[in-house]
Amino acid sequence: MSKRQLKTALRQEGVVPIRMTRRAKRDMFAFLGFTFPNFFLLGVFVFWPILYSLYLSFFKWNMIAPKKTFIGLDNFQTMFNDPVFWLVTKNTLILAFFTVVVKMAIALGLALALNKNVKGRSVYRAIIFSPTFTTSVAVAMVWGWIFNPNFGLLRVFMRPFGIPPLDWLESVTHSLPAVIIVLIWSGIGYDMVLFLAGLKNISLEIYDAALVDGVSPWQNFWYITFPLLSPTTFFLTITGFIGALKAFDIVAIMTDGGPLNTSNVIVHFLYQNAFQWFKTGYASALALILFVIIMAITLVQNRLSRRWVHY
Amino acid sequence: MKRRSLVLILLLAVILLANGSLWAAAQAEVKPTGPVKIVYWRSLTGVAGESQDEVVKRFNESRSDIIVESQFQGAYAEILQKLQAALAAGDVPDLVLLDSPHLQIFAKDGVLVNLDDFVKKEKAGFLNDYIPGLLADGYYDDSLFALPVLRSTPLLYVNGDMLAAAGLPRRAPKTWDEFREFSKQLTKYNAAGEAEQLGAGFTTTVTSGHWYFQGAVYAYGGLVSDEDFNIYLSSPEALAVATLWQDMVFKDKTAIPSNSHDDFLNKKVGMVFGSTGSMGNLLSRADFEVIPAFMPGQKQNLVPVGGSVLAMPSTDKNRQWAAWEFMKYMTGTDAQAYLAEMTGYMPNSTSARNHPDLAAYYNANPVRKVALDQLAYVRPQASVISLPKGTEILRQMLEKLLIANMDPKQVMAETTADLQKEYNENFK
Repeated sequence: MSKRQLKTALRQEGVVPIRMTRRAKRDMFAFLGFTFPNFFLLGVFVFWPILYSLYLSFFKWNMIAPKKTFIGLDNFQTMFNDPVFWLVTKNTLILAFFTVVVKMAIALGLALALNKNVKGRSVYRAIIFSPTFTTSVAVAMVWGWIFNPNFGLLRVFMRPFGIPPLDWLESVTHSLPAVIIVLIWSGIGYDMVLFLAGLKNISLEIYDAALVDGVSPWQNFWYITFPLLSPTTFFLTITGFIGALKAFDIVAIMTDGGPLNTSNVIVHFLYQNAFQWFKTGYASALALILFVIIMAITLVQNRLSRRWVHY
Repeated sequence: MKRRSLVLILLLAVILLANGSLWAAAQAEVKPTGPVKIVYWRSLTGVAGESQDEVVKRFNESRSDIIVESQFQGAYAEILQKLQAALAAGDVPDLVLLDSPHLQIFAKDGVLVNLDDFVKKEKAGFLNDYIPGLLADGYYDDSLFALPVLRSTPLLYVNGDMLAAAGLPRRAPKTWDEFREFSKQLTKYNAAGEAEQLGAGFTTTVTSGHWYFQGAVYAYGGLVSDEDFNIYLSSPEALAVATLWQDMVFKDKTAIPSNSHDDFLNKKVGMVFGSTGSMGNLLSRADFEVIPAFMPGQKQNLVPVGGSVLAMPSTDKNRQWAAWEFMKYMTGTDAQAYLAEMTGYMPNSTSARNHPDLAAYYNANPVRKVALDQLAYVRPQASVISLPKGTEILRQMLEKLLIANMDPKQVMAETTADLQKEYNENFK
């Protein structure tokens, strides 16, 4: 079939080839002109680093030497045989789970309380929200002092309960909980504000109808408020997990991952490998694994959400 | 058509602008006119930082053909990261202040300028003025890559008032045995069993924990590792130190891991270790008598020398010349005498040590002279410190000993294995 015959046949079938008019071409050009800067920046600062990091994960390189040595999957093999990697991954998951769950539970409680007409509630809201816009470095430094066993505030509060002063940040059992406490504290405000917004979106008519039916406050919460808040809860779970899996600043400043890596997390471990120990390839492999973990957790949550999120 | 070409030109401009190396290549061809401008990356804060800026200022005033721009780049560890990134980006400073163990990492991969040729052009015996033990750290593979500046030794700082209150003489313990004894005398627990005051704090930080440990091992007559990376952590000397420190924390309960001098300044612990460079800070902030002293001896007095070196990553011939001129100035007699007086760091040369200003200063402040006196008992740090992960592995060792209370023999064996592995990965 010649090209001409093909065209005729297609036209008979109702398929009309798109011919760009001059105007359409110009529009296309304008479109590219406007989107190019954005694509260019994303490409340089997002996509290129991601691909380059993937590439580096197959090499042994210290970022200084002119030569990179190709080692195939060795970085991944080293990683899976490295007990520190498993400890750090475990810490990261524990940290993410407790941070997100506890933070959201407290935030929801506060949102419910402050959604009522309590006196001075805007003041409370402002106070609870304030850690959200405080720099994490300042947060970590101040909490470092609070946890200090010799003159920290925490020991003053513990003393009446007969709990001896404890060096939280220098303890193999308490350094991770200390980091989690700080992450929860600094994240509650944000979650609370979103829950408050979610609560405002629930129609009062539903509560009125429930009141007529004589439901208990617990039923009110469990069968009306909680299900109708589920999109907010879902959003906070996803973003909370992603944020917590990427925890870095608080760990770096408060504990530097120590003692003995008991409070170390993946991103901080990655940073140590890349910028303190000159293991750029290994760090890139860690980045890839972190990407996979975040992706997997998000996908699972998305899948589960069909069962409990009501839009 | 016109508009189209305009867009194309703009796109081309964006690509060219983004491609910094093309731009830089074009610039490098231009011959310099007027003074040569070089960039110096410095570290250290407070007095130690300001006095470096003052040295730069004095140099700039004395020369019309060179302008040095001093840029503060953060602590030693941050400089390390920024230099790494700068090398990857191909845009390096001309001079950089490095923590002495870091020199090897960069010299090994050929990113620092070999200074041998510059030395050859100077008068014969140019290097003889530098104190040999300090100059030694600037060598890699028998070539000179850096000159010593702002050098320090570890010291023991004790609280004189606390010693007197405990019925002890106002002086630091001379040996590690005496150190343990003093620590017992200084410790006080209250009725509830809470420590009110402890004898000593052991630093376990990644930057300096290993340094004091090395000092203790040297005092016992041992070594952490030699120049050929043989590791001696399981030797009786190193084990003795590990056991002593651990026993003081867990058996005697007279010492704690303490990573900040605040515990010392707040009178929670009576004795701490610190750099010579911390002396000015401690003396001015304490409201009690601070006695800076030699690290305790045992079989001998011997400490690892630390502090910084000045190295040259510059890639341009003209700027290398200018950088060398400034290196000579900053490590020279006048600047060194000034820096030593201001900061408490040690002068790096015989001529600076004998500088009249500095001699007068030490006469007026005898307490500051301790650092200088200890200079007679120094040797370089253990070779394993120059491994990228070396200091971290030694931090873990201290944490295993002093926080996790693990068996010293096992800890030392594990640490040796970790260091050996790190050596194989980097140098083999």
